[in-house]
Amino acid sequence: MTFILISLIILGVAMLISFIRLLIGPTIWDRILMLNLVSIKVIMFVVLLAIYQNNLLLLDIALTYGIIGFLTMTLLSKFIMTGGREK
Amino acid sequence: MSIVTDIILAFSWIFIVFGMIAVFKFKNMYSRILAATTIDTVASLLMLIALFFTVDNFKFIIRIILLILFLFITNPISSHVIIRSAFITGIPVSTGGEKNE
Repeated sequence: MTFILISLIILGVAMLISFIRLLIGPTIWDRILMLNLVSIKVIMFVVLLAIYQNNLLLLDIALTYGIIGFLTMTLLSKFIMTGGREK
Repeated sequence: MSIVTDIILAFSWIFIVFGMIAVFKFKNMYSRILAATTIDTVASLLMLIALFFTVDNFKFIIRIILLILFLFITNPISSHVIIRSAFITGIPVSTGGEKNE
């Protein structure tokens, strides 16, 4: 179980670094990309936590979060591509 | 807790650390997107496959298989949509060096 705990710590640090890159990213697609990476890391974090605590309901939460993250990425980039220009 | 889980989890740590280095190292945006999404997809799939060996309940196994299929389908689609939006809306693909951002 110690390897799962070390994985949780590494994922937390990686999420923090991705969030720093999200704050300083030059263009808006960089920010969307970093939001995508944070979403994937949140899914992995919740799955590891579900195995660590032996809790079944957290896996359903991870599936729902994956669907919501994919819809967010697709609709946000389509909205930027058609409507709101940056420059 | 089997030894196979520990080995595959250690491989996934290496991929996560390389992905975080590649996000800060590249100057061009398309190479940054390519490196970040590819490395992160491999890391997430490795981590889910590693957890596949340590559970013994059937309910956990069917949900982990669903998550592996879902991430394997939707993760490249998401990165492709971001790259398509960036290419249509403005940023040109750099051919020579790493000058234009």
